[in-house]
Amino acid sequence: MDIQNTQSQMRKGVLEFCILSIIRQGEVYPSDIVDRMKTANLHILEGTLYPLLTRLKNAGLLTYRWVESNSGPPRKYFVMTDKGLEFYGELERTWQELADAVHTLTQSAIDPTSEPNPSQP
Amino acid sequence: MKKVININFQGRVIPIEESAYDMLKQYVESLRKFFANEEGRDEIINDIEGRIAELFGDSLKKGSTCITDEDVDGIIKSMGRPEDFEGDESKVQTQLGEETKQQQQSRTFYEGAGEAPRGRLYRDESDKMLGGVCSGLANYLRVDPTIVRLVFALITFGAGTGILLYILLWIILPSKRLENATSTKRLYRNPDEKVIAGVASGLAAYFDIAVWVPRLIFVLPLVVGIFTSIFRHAFWFDYNPFPGIVFGSFGGTLFITYAILWAVIPEAKSASDKLEMRGEKVDLNTIKNTIQEDLEGFKSRAEKWGGEVKERAQQFGQEFGQTISQKGQQFSSEAAKIGRRGGSRLGNAIAIIFKAFFLFLAGILAFALLVTLLAFLVAGIGVFPLKDFFLEGVTQNFLAWATLLLFLGVPVVAFIIWIVRRIMGVKSGNKFLGFTFAGLWFIGLFCGIMLAVSIARNFDASARDKQEYSIVQPGTGKLIINVPDSKVKVIGGWLGKIDGVMSVSDDSLFLNNVRLRILKSKDSVYHISATKYSSGKDAGSAMENVRGINYGINQEDSTIWLDRGFSLHSGTKFRNQRVEVTVQVPVGKRIMIDRRVANRLSWFHVNDGDWGDDWNDYQNWDSNVEYIMRAGGLERVHKEEDARDNNNNDDDENNAVEQYKKSKEELKKEYDKKQKEAEELKKELDKPVDTTRYHYQKATTYEEAPQPNAVMPAVHAEKKEEKMDITFDNARLVMMQMVL
Repeated sequence: MDIQNTQSQMRKGVLEFCILSIIRQGEVYPSDIVDRMKTANLHILEGTLYPLLTRLKNAGLLTYRWVESNSGPPRKYFVMTDKGLEFYGELERTWQELADAVHTLTQSAIDPTSEPNPSQP
Repeated sequence: MKKVININFQGRVIPIEESAYDMLKQYVESLRKFFANEEGRDEIINDIEGRIAELFGDSLKKGSTCITDEDVDGIIKSMGRPEDFEGDESKVQTQLGEETKQQQQSRTFYEGAGEAPRGRLYRDESDKMLGGVCSGLANYLRVDPTIVRLVFALITFGAGTGILLYILLWIILPSKRLENATSTKRLYRNPDEKVIAGVASGLAAYFDIAVWVPRLIFVLPLVVGIFTSIFRHAFWFDYNPFPGIVFGSFGGTLFITYAILWAVIPEAKSASDKLEMRGEKVDLNTIKNTIQEDLEGFKSRAEKWGGEVKERAQQFGQEFGQTISQKGQQFSSEAAKIGRRGGSRLGNAIAIIFKAFFLFLAGILAFALLVTLLAFLVAGIGVFPLKDFFLEGVTQNFLAWATLLLFLGVPVVAFIIWIVRRIMGVKSGNKFLGFTFAGLWFIGLFCGIMLAVSIARNFDASARDKQEYSIVQPGTGKLIINVPDSKVKVIGGWLGKIDGVMSVSDDSLFLNNVRLRILKSKDSVYHISATKYSSGKDAGSAMENVRGINYGINQEDSTIWLDRGFSLHSGTKFRNQRVEVTVQVPVGKRIMIDRRVANRLSWFHVNDGDWGDDWNDYQNWDSNVEYIMRAGGLERVHKEEDARDNNNNDDDENNAVEQYKKSKEELKKEYDKKQKEAEELKKELDKPVDTTRYHYQKATTYEEAPQPNAVMPAVHAEKKEEKMDITFDNARLVMMQMVL
């Protein structure tokens, strides 16, 4: 069994969610997103990010605007659309359920006798 | 020091090193390929380029004057390579093509069904070369269809019954689309690593052995066969270490085997094929890795190929070989394109045949050259024992060695190295190697020329000396010339122009360059003399060389034994020394030359007249035949056994003429004798009347008359002497009657 594969699958699952949560907090440009994820210890390649952003934009969840820069070429600044916000809300719910479930299961693995805690809303 | 170019990147002018630019270009290309099916491809690429441009700007602002390799490398690392990008499963699938979906589906199907049942024997519609017989069979037996095909092919070529069997099965078996039930290792041809058609490297991958092993196996019998045949011819070995039957036909068989394998084994085209070829698990990850390898390998392979082509041309240094191989490749690549476009297997076949043919042709030409050089090398080595007698002085010796090694040895070595490299698939490293070899070869050529000139100069002058032998005159009036047996072995006449050479003992060379000449003696005794000739650097050394020749004769009653040859002791060089033995035969005496003389001495001939230097004048006189010296030259003595011959050929006519002449002479003798008798009688008969005298005269005339009569019948009827005698007796009888 290839552990890297499984790990990669786990990451891929949450990537979109994480990126959306960053953009939700405010207008950002791609390399900014990369830096922020780095600080949160979730590394992503720019080559992975750009196509993802484009897809999300094409799906109508994001928009961007060009901002001229004196130190380089113009940059795209992304913001979330309403549709994106809705989408995000759904994902958030899913994530919460998932996190609780995993938490429960991993806890019971450590301590099989304990009662499963009801998940927090 | 690197070249820097300016590029217009995202609307800005960026100075960048040329090599860095190549890297960047390649990276963008790979991105383009990766996102080929992506919806927002151009946008994505643009975004990424924009980011790169930003990073460039930062770098330039930090103070560097241009973008370097390291900058680009760092950027690519941080951006990531396409194969590292994480994305949707669907995206990966579109990039890898439809096959993966199929593989997935078939795999799930397979796994879902558990161990698939044996099933019935069908013909496989989905994987067929001719009628799908072999692959259906393979499916049924759960083996690689290629193996089954190979077996079929072998049976067909071996016994011929395979074809009938195949057709039979074709008719009998129903056809059905079968899923590929096996996922085991399959035998493919490897298109990535091929010299002719990738058979050898496919085999290598299947069996997990190094690539050069199967190549060597294919090439080895051929090479060994050629080498042994060279050695056989050069050294006159009748002993053949590798019997021709084994390797001769073996080499040929391997060609056929290769052709069969090429036809039957499919080429590993898709990534999954390549994985199957190596026996690796076929799933997304491994496919991803394979594609990764392909993308990376592409550029390096192109480089390697270009480099190899260039070096191959360099090393040979011959325009001929170059054009042939270039044309062959051009032709073959064009032909290959046509083949692929046509899409039919036949077109492919022709393309590959042409490619193989041209490579083969180029190889044969090169090999022929190699063989010639090798033959010369061997010849040079073969002459080695005679070296000391030929070369004089340090310079010549050195030149000879240099020529041998450089002129002949270097190309042989170079070629062998090249062959080994090709078989091993080793990347040719050193460009200077080709130049070095060429340079050494030219030096060798130059040495060879100097050597030839130097040796030729040693033969500039010539000298000769005559030596008279004293002999006892034979009592029989006939001299026999013979040559004794000798235990010395003769080295064959392949040295050609230099007259027959005999073998070398430790420190002396034995030459049999002796000629025999027969002349008319100026007096009435036999004379034998020998004239020695030699060449040399100048007149003085030529004369010295002449004096170094020892030649003698032995007399045994009436047989003269000529020395079979003369020896040069060490120190004396070979300078085309020759000896001419002259036997002068007095008129009326005979000479016979034994058969062995003709076999053992170079030529013997008869020359009437003066000496002359016409050494090569060759007249055809027989040995073992007696000759008699007449005033006009040597004549053949009539032999009794020949007279019975009634055939009407030249020989007999000659004999008849000889007989005629001879009998005329004899008759003349008899006539002289008779005349003397008659004279005496005449004296006694002092009183005879005119009539008697007349009669006597008449008798004489009558005596004379019968002679032509006597002779004529002899000629016409070809009768023997006895007949003439009888007639003559009659005449005598009559004469006596007359007298008494």
